[in-house]
Order: sequence, then structure tokens, then C-alpha cells
Amino acid sequence: MTVPATSDPADTRTAEPDGWLGWLTTTDHKRIGLLTLATSVVLLFLMGILALIMRGQLAQPGEDLIDAHTYNQVFTIHGSGMIYLVMTPFAIGLGVYLVPLQVGAPALATPRTTLLGYWLYVLGALSMLCGFAIPSGAARSGWFSYPPLADSDYSPGAGPDLWVIGVAMSAIGILLMAWAVLWTVLRKRAIGMTMLRLPVFSWSMVVTCLMVLGAFPSLLAALVLLALGRGDPAIFDSNVWNIGYQHLFWFYGHPVVYVMFFPYLAAVAEVLAVFCGRRFFGYKATVLSLLVFAALSMSVWGHHMFTTGQASNDYYSLTSILLTVPAGAEYFGMLGTLVGGRIVFRTPMLFALAFIPQFLIGGLTGIMTGTPVIDYHVTDSYFIVAHFHYTLFAGSAFGLFAAVYYWFPKVTGVMLDERLGKIHFWLLVVGANLTFLPMFGLGYKGMPRRVNTYSSVDGFGLLNLLASCGAAVLAAGMIVFAVNILRSLLRRRRGGLAPMPDNPWNAHTLEWATSSPPPPENFTPDRPLPPITSNAPLLDLPMAQKEAEGANPGKTAQPGEPAGPAERSGL
Amino acid sequence: MNKHLAYGVVAFWGLLNGLSLSVLAIYGEASMVYWLWGGVVALLELVAFTVWLSSWRGSDQHANYRVTARTGAPALPAAIAVLLAGLSFAYGFWLLIVSLPLLAIALGMAAMPGLAGKDV
Amino acid sequence: MNQRHIFGTVFWLESAIAGGVFVVIAIILLVSLVRRRARVGLVASQRQDNRKLEISYAVVLAAFAAFLVSYTAWQNHRETGANASTAPAGHASSSAQGSGAPSKPVTVNVTAFQWCWQFGYPQAPGSLKVSDNCQGGKVPTLVVPTGREIRIHLTSKDVIHSMWVPALRYKMDAFPDHVNSFTIKIDKAGRWVGRCAEFCGERHSKMHFWLKAVPPDEYKHWVQQHAAHAGGAQA
Repeated sequence: MTVPATSDPADTRTAEPDGWLGWLTTTDHKRIGLLTLATSVVLLFLMGILALIMRGQLAQPGEDLIDAHTYNQVFTIHGSGMIYLVMTPFAIGLGVYLVPLQVGAPALATPRTTLLGYWLYVLGALSMLCGFAIPSGAARSGWFSYPPLADSDYSPGAGPDLWVIGVAMSAIGILLMAWAVLWTVLRKRAIGMTMLRLPVFSWSMVVTCLMVLGAFPSLLAALVLLALGRGDPAIFDSNVWNIGYQHLFWFYGHPVVYVMFFPYLAAVAEVLAVFCGRRFFGYKATVLSLLVFAALSMSVWGHHMFTTGQASNDYYSLTSILLTVPAGAEYFGMLGTLVGGRIVFRTPMLFALAFIPQFLIGGLTGIMTGTPVIDYHVTDSYFIVAHFHYTLFAGSAFGLFAAVYYWFPKVTGVMLDERLGKIHFWLLVVGANLTFLPMFGLGYKGMPRRVNTYSSVDGFGLLNLLASCGAAVLAAGMIVFAVNILRSLLRRRRGGLAPMPDNPWNAHTLEWATSSPPPPENFTPDRPLPPITSNAPLLDLPMAQKEAEGANPGKTAQPGEPAGPAERSGL
Repeated sequence: MNKHLAYGVVAFWGLLNGLSLSVLAIYGEASMVYWLWGGVVALLELVAFTVWLSSWRGSDQHANYRVTARTGAPALPAAIAVLLAGLSFAYGFWLLIVSLPLLAIALGMAAMPGLAGKDV
Repeated sequence: MNQRHIFGTVFWLESAIAGGVFVVIAIILLVSLVRRRARVGLVASQRQDNRKLEISYAVVLAAFAAFLVSYTAWQNHRETGANASTAPAGHASSSAQGSGAPSKPVTVNVTAFQWCWQFGYPQAPGSLKVSDNCQGGKVPTLVVPTGREIRIHLTSKDVIHSMWVPALRYKMDAFPDHVNSFTIKIDKAGRWVGRCAEFCGERHSKMHFWLKAVPPDEYKHWVQQHAAHAGGAQA
């Protein structure tokens, strides 16, 4: 049976119980998306605490804050958690929440398997973290857990088993969610929403989900191999399986870097366009470059294996360096948008602007590490640690915060505090660069990654101290962030806030055409889908509306400046 | 062109992968890599075919939607069953005694129209 | 110090390029932030794209990438080509005994284990082996002659390790059940720290060694002394 997209709200969600049970059994993509986003933000704070413990231990030479056994668990769970449980699920969760709204659909294609995906992710996270509760401790062989070190001979105990189970479950969960998002974009768009009118963010989800489909099965294969090796470690006596594991792992491990990048890049692109008051510049070139970028990203995994002496280095170097072409095209789009923009400096925009130079540092050092003769020296050193924290923290996480500040009013109906947001931003900019810039020097000077301590004669003391100070600044920034979120949510609960317009930023895409937060079926008769005439339908609207019904005061306000009060509906 | 873009994108992306793979073949790599990547290209083309089949049966742009009102209640028990099945590798296969019935219950819940709610 | 030399050339070239790109983008960013900040009378451009500019930009980028790919591949071949050109890689005792003619590379079999190193000299009498336990500051020293090619055959007894001498700007992974070979050549006498770079378990951070280069005569003397010592201990 079918219903018009604009049916009466009472009809569509009769099966959804109220209260917490309603949340646990929900098939509403917005609720599943919110659950995913909230879970990964909570885990982000947890992984941040682990990072602080490491920076405490490394602040000075020869410290004994925690022993090597504990340190190894801490860095393993920090890395695994940030990649498997925070940045990837948040990216996909953003897609689960936003994509149906952006394409004008009332629901996800397969809501129930999406919910199953969420639960697999949560239970997988629990399984991985439970390692800390058992006597032999959590997994301790790093986020890529190379055998033979990760087999049961060299890493005995249940912690690594729980890790394998946890990673596998969250990977399956992400796969299910990604499939739902991909199918929704490809097959569930509203009338008028052609592929070339999709917002940049929805396009980024298409390529992200394609990478998930192509790469995550390989992770599952690697985990099965590792599980077999934990049953019978003898299989890792043979080099074939050791190097085979690395191929299987990095075939997943490199594309996932872009799974943790494209959605945030696209969030930045949307924010840039909105706060520049114009369409994103070079839309088609950006879409094409995303597709090429993603396809190339499937071919570069071997650059993680340059020093194995068993990989085709020339090829992986070729493809890695070629990534500069699509990446350059994306920077062209971002800068082009700014050059002709009318820039309004609100918190989401600040994070988006900082993303540009900071990710650039990660990208440019990425070209270096993609060059074998440089990589031979810097790989597995703090240079690499600096490089990927510039891409993933100073880059992607800044995109994540831009997304949070930008879509928070959409999701909750209340704004985040602008002043706290700016304090958060500046603390994060200072903290991130103070933490990660010295690490380039440490790696160049010869500090290997994953060491729990170093000697005072090594001369690593000063740079490590700087990095640890930076980490403290980051922690302060994150406390401000937490306060900001909790404060806004508390105020919403208490009520009495001035009504917020549904589209406070004067944004361009369909999710802002409905109420904030959106009603269960996304678009209703009183908030119907507007005509979709381009990739920025709401930007086309004022003219069309002016022609039809005269000027709408809310729509003509400048972007980023509060529009006139509009009625609130929905939740 | 727009009409074919949905599955075209998937197929094109799969072919780009195939192109990179064939360049890799010039450089040479372990045979396992060819099987792995070749399998992925095949999988992507299969997805493109699925999208094409679905497009062939109906438009990809909708004014009318089938919105399921089915409850997601079976999801949590099913996920717990998967977790227990996973844990059985670490703590012994007796856990399957709990896992498998739970999975069966979840599947039953998902299939039963009474419990599962109805399509609206 | 072939590797160090090549690393230096390529690293500084790429750093200079990266620095230039960063400065250009930072200037565009800052200028637009200042000049395009919202104010009365400023209207955002409605231009959606600039096809000509996009295409020419992509062509320039592609040409640049092609240059970088071929340049770095050439440098990489200079490095690995030197590896391939030296004596056939036979592991362990297949090579001739004695220190041989100066042109012939010195072979060292390096075995990594949890958590230290063993250096074997198959060309020395009595298959000289040097090792230690990397505890309490007792780290083994890999002694090599200056000015001669040193062929290193690297393997592991247990898990994956990686042999890294930061001063040489080079590292290579040590796999169990697999031998990786590479050649180094050291121009001047000195002593440099070496580390394990691949995480290998609890004492990973302590798995150091010394690389000590001495003049060929001194090396000969060292080999004779230690070989005699090792032989004496065995007898």
C-alpha cells in the first residue's frame, strides 16, 4: 500500500510507541540517525579521555603514570574507537538523518535493517570496551592488529577476542546503514530531485556508501582470518597469511579514511555555501571529483605497506600522488565559493573555514608519505601520527563540529550558544595545532609511534611537552562544547526560549524546508516539499514565491542572520 | 541521461575500480589481491544491476511513497543474538544455545504481521 | 648514506612545493575573508561554475601530478636499484668467508625478536653473532665498516618488527618466515641509534640498537677479535 508523501501525520507512525521504548524500536530515520550521532559523540568524549591519558604519560621522558601493558590498551582502544566507533558511525549517522530529508523522502529505504545496524554498532562498541573490565585487559595490538602479534600466542586473553567481535559487529552495522542510505539516494528521491540536483552532502554519501560497500567486506575477511589465527596461531607461521592480512586490512583501511572524510568535507561545503550566501561553486566538477577521488582511494592501500618490502610500491605511489587532482578540484570549489561570497562568520562557518588550511596540512604531508623514499623514513613514526591527526582531527573533526553547529537547530529546534561556540572553536584551533604540529618534528627526529615512554637522552622532551599542553587546551575546548550542548538541551526542556525560525541560517537544501525539528514523515501538507529546480531549491524559492504570493520576509533576510520568526510545528 | 544516472553512477564507479585494477596488473601484485579487488568490482557491478532492475520496475523519483509503519522491535534481540554468537568464539559454543533461539524469536517477530505492525 | 641523500633531496623539494601551495591557498583564503565579509552593499556572486577555468586548472594539476609521480618513482629506483645491483642475495652462510675484497659487500644477517636484535656476520670466521637483551641499557651494536656496501638480510623470529635508523632516513620491516634485503653504505665513522618502528608488544619502546661505523681496518680488527672470542667461548 502506498500513501502520498503529504498524508496526515497521524496515519503513518501509529506503530511507534511513546517514551524510551519508542526510541529503542524506532523505524524513523531521524531517530535512528540521532541515536547514532549521540552514541558516537559520547564515545568521542571517552576516546578523548584515553588520548589525554596518553599525552599525560608522554609529557615528559621516562614517566611512569601507566605501565606499558596499560598504555598499549589505551592507544589501541583510542585508535580503534575513533575510527570504528566515532568518525565512521558519525559520518554514516549524519547520512541516515539527513539524506531522506535532503532528497525529499519521508523515510529511509530499509529502516528496520538500519536500526539493526545501529544496535550491532552499539553492542560492538560495548564488546570492545568491555575488554577494560577483564583481568587480562583490552586489546593491545593497535587499531590494525597485525598478526602474528595479534594472535593468541602473542596477545593471549579475551580482550583481543572482544575487540575482533566488536569491530566485526560495528562494521556489519555500518554496512547495513550505508546500504539503506545508498538505496534511498538512488531510488527514493522526490519528484524533480534528479541526481544532478542532489545537494553536495547527499552526493558525498553516495560515494561514501559505495566505498563502504566495496571496502568493508574486506575488513570482515581480515577479521575472520584473525579469528582463525586466534584459534590456531600456527597459520601465522606462514608469511603468506601475515602479508595477506595486511592486504585485506588496508584494502578496507585506506578507503575508510575517506569514509571518515567525504561526509565532513561535504558538510563543510554546505556550510561554506550557506554562509557565503550563494550556491557551491563548481558543483558538477565537485561531484565528478568526489567519484574519481573515491575510486582512486580504493587503489592506494598499499602505501601503508611501502616498508614491508612485499608491495608494488611504484603503483601505490602513482595512485596516491594522483589523488592530488580530485583533491585539488575540491579545494577549487571551496575557495571559489569563498572568493565570490558574502561571508557571515557564525560558529559553523568558523569550523568550516579552519578546515580548509588545517586539512591542507594533512593533505600535503599525505603526498609526502605517498612518496616511498620519504615514507621509508617517516612511516610508523610520529610524523605519521601528526599527518593523520591533521586529516582526521584538524580536518574531519572540524567538519564534524561545523556539522553539529549547523544542523543542531534543525535537529533540536534550538540554537547552540554563539559565544560558547566561538570559545570552543578558538580553543580547538589552538589546541589542535599545538598538539599535532610538534609531532611532525618528533617523527622527523626519530620518535617511533606507539612507544609508551622515551628516554631523556633522545631529545624528544620539549616537543612532547608542547603536544601535551595542546591536548590540555583541546580538553578545555571539549568541555565548553559539552556545556554548550547540555545548556541548549536543558533550555529546550525548560521551555521559554524565543521561538527559532525553521531555517535560521537561510540554508538552501530541502531539510530546511520543513519544520525544525521535522515531523515524523518529514514533509506535511502545511510544510510541503517546495518545487525542486536545482541543487539549492530554497535559493530558487524567493523569486518563485515572490511571483506567486509576494515577498516572504523570512526568506529574504541575509544568510546567517536570523530570519523573521516563523511558526514551529512538529515535535 | 538523468534517468540512467542512478545505476550509471554505481556501474561507472565499479568500472573505475576495474580500470585501476588493470593498471595494477601491469605493475604486478600478489594473486590474492586480484581476487580480492576483482571480487569487489564484480560486487559493485552486481549492485549496479540491482539498481537497474529496480529502476526498470519503477521510477526513481516518487510522489507516492510506501512508508513502512513496521516496528523495529526485532532489531535489538537480533543484535544481541549476533553478539552472543560472536562471543561464543571466545567463551565457548554453549552460548549458541542462547543465541540461536533469540535469533529465531527476532526473525519470527520480524515476519509476524500481527506483532510487526502493518504497512500504512 | 644513499638513502639519507635521496630522502633529503625529495623531502626538501616536496616540502618547498607544499609550503608554496599552502601559502597560496592561505593568501586566497585570507584575502577573501577580509574582502568578502558581509557588509551593506556587498552581494554574493551568483556564478555557478567556470568551466574553462576548471578544466585548465585540472590539466595543470594533472601535469604537476605526472611530474611528481615520475620524479619520485625515478628517485625510488635510484634507491632500490642500488639494492638490486649488489651481490646476489643469498641468506646466511652461502657467501664467502673472511672480509674479502673491499669491493665486495659485507653481509649482515639481522634477526629481530621480542624484544631485541641479533646481528650475524656470515663472512666472519665462526659465523660471528652479536646480540643482547635490550634491558637496563644493554643494547647490541651493529658494527660495520665505512665506505663499503653493507648488505642487510632482515628477518624476525616472532612478530613483525621494523628496523629503523633515523639518521639513515630508512627503515625496513622484519617479517617472520620472510627475508627482506637492502643495502646501505656509510661514508663516515660514527654511532647512531636504531629503533624498532613496528609496534611489537610490551617492550617495543626499549627495542634499540646502535649502528656503529668504523674504518675498514678497525672493522677487520674488530671481527678478528670477536670471532676469536666467540670461537673460544664455543670451544
